Amino acid sequence: MWTFESMLSEPAAWLDASGPRADVILSTRVRLARNVHGVAFPNRATEDDLRGVRDRVRRAATESNYLTNALVIDMEEASPAVRDVLVERHLTSHNFAVDDAGRVVVIGEKEILSAMVNEEDHLRLQCIRSGLQPVDAWRLVDRIDREMDRNLHYAYSSDWGYLTACPTNVGTGVRVSVLAHLMGLSRRKRIAQVLRSVSKLGLSVRGYYGEGSAALGGFFQISNQTTLGQSEEDIAYTVERVASRIVGLELEARAELTQREGDRLADQVHRAYGILANARLVGAEECMRLSSMLRLGVALGLVERPGLAAVNRLLVVTQPGHLQYAHGGDPALEERDRMRADLVRRELAACD
Amino acid sequence: MCESCRRRPATIQYAEVVDGEMTTFNLCEECARERGVAMSFAPFAGPLVSILMGLLEEAGERGEAEERGPVCPGCGLSYREFRTNGRLGCAECYEAFADELRPVIRRIHGSTRHSGGVPESLAEGADSQGRMRRLRGELEAAVRSEEYERAAELRDEIRDLERGLAADGGTDVDV
Repeated sequence: MWTFESMLSEPAAWLDASGPRADVILSTRVRLARNVHGVAFPNRATEDDLRGVRDRVRRAATESNYLTNALVIDMEEASPAVRDVLVERHLTSHNFAVDDAGRVVVIGEKEILSAMVNEEDHLRLQCIRSGLQPVDAWRLVDRIDREMDRNLHYAYSSDWGYLTACPTNVGTGVRVSVLAHLMGLSRRKRIAQVLRSVSKLGLSVRGYYGEGSAALGGFFQISNQTTLGQSEEDIAYTVERVASRIVGLELEARAELTQREGDRLADQVHRAYGILANARLVGAEECMRLSSMLRLGVALGLVERPGLAAVNRLLVVTQPGHLQYAHGGDPALEERDRMRADLVRRELAACD
Repeated sequence: MCESCRRRPATIQYAEVVDGEMTTFNLCEECARERGVAMSFAPFAGPLVSILMGLLEEAGERGEAEERGPVCPGCGLSYREFRTNGRLGCAECYEAFADELRPVIRRIHGSTRHSGGVPESLAEGADSQGRMRRLRGELEAAVRSEEYERAAELRDEIRDLERGLAADGGTDVDV
C-alpha cells in the first residue's frame, strides 16, 4: 500500500541519479496544463464545480493504468507541514499549498507521475525523471494524458489548442524543465554568459533553490518559455538539445576547475563533507551550499562516498517542511538546525 | 511577500546577473515597475512577467480611459478584469476576447496557431477544421494568382467538407 508515510521513507525515483547525465542534470520534469470541457477555470468556478472536477479526476485516475494505486491527498485536510513537504518534493506548487476547495494532489508510485487538481487549471499532470530525459518524460505523461482525456474531455480549440487559465500556457500546455547543477560554470564565472545565450534561444532560466535571495548552490531550472506554435515533441527536443549543450559546457568548466585549482577544490569538497558529517547545528542555507559542493566532489570522483543519489536526497529531506513534519510540531530555528544536522549525519553514516 | 516594500504579495520573480553571480528577487508588480526591472530583465523573466509586460504595453497604447471591454458570455469575466489579474475565466473567454487576445498571445508565443497534439475524442473534427483552414488559404492564393480552374476545384472541395462538418455538428458536442 502506497501511503504518505511510505512515500517519505523511500526516496522519489527522480532522486536516484540513474538517468542520463545525472552528474549535471538532477531531474527532468514535464507538466501538462489541462481543463475540463464545460466547467469554468478554477479562478471563476464555484466550490461545487471544483469539488465536481476533483471527483471526476479521482475517478479518471482510478480507471487509468498508471495511477490506479495512487495516493490522494486532500489539501482541505492537509496540515501546513504536509503541504510544505509536497512543495519540497516538487509535487505541488507554492500557490497550491493553501486550502482552497476541491484541491487534491494525486501521486503515483515512486512519485514519477502526479497530478495537481484545481490549481490554476483544473489539472496539472506531471512526470519527473532522473537526469536528462525530456522526450521520454513527455511520452510517459502523454500516455496518462490520453487516458485521463477519455474520462474528462478537455477544453480544446482547433485554433488555440488546449485552453488554459493563463494564456502563457495555451496550446500544448506543456512545460518541459530540467534542474541543472552548474557549479563548474558558476565557479568559472561563465554562468551569466551561458544563461544569456539560453534565454536568447527562447528558453527561460531561473535560480532554483534559495527563497528569493541568491541562487543557492548553483542550481538552475531551464524550461521552454512558449507553449503555442510548436509540437510537444519539438519542445521536448529543444530543451533536450539545449540542455545537452549546457552539460557539455559545464563538464568543460569542471575539467578546467580540476586542472587549475584542483587542490583548492578538493580541499573545499572535503571540508564540506567534514562539516556535514560532523556538525551539530546546520542552517538551511549552509546545508544547501555544502551539499552542492559535496555533490560537485562526488560527480568529479573526489570523494568516494556518498553517491550522487544520497546527496540528491539530502537536498530534499533537509528542507524545513520535511523537518517540521518529522518533528510533529513547529520547531524553533535552532531546534530545526539541530534536527537538520542530526539527519545529515545519519544519512551520511548510512552511506559508509 | 515583496522583498522591496514588504507589504504587497510578490507576483514577479526576476533574476539579475552581476559578475557571474545570479540573484533572484521576488517583487510585487508596483515595486517591479518602479524599479523598471520588469522591462530591462525581460530575457530572464518568467512567463508571468512577459504577459504583464504585454498587458502594460497595451494599456499604455490605449490610454487610461478604457471602457470595460468585451465580456465573456460564459463566465461573465470582462477583458479589463483579465488585464488586471492575467487569468481567463473559462474556455469561452478565448472566443469572446479573440480579437484582443490574438496580439497578446502573439507577443507571448510568437505564434497564434496550435500545432501540437489533439485530444483523441476530437481528433477527427479537429482534422477537418485544419483541412478547412488549409483549403481556404489555398483558395485565396489561387484567386490572387488568377488560377480560376484550381479555385473552382478548391471551392467544390470546401463545399463538400462544409456539408460533412454540418452533418457531424449535431453529434460532436461533448462526446
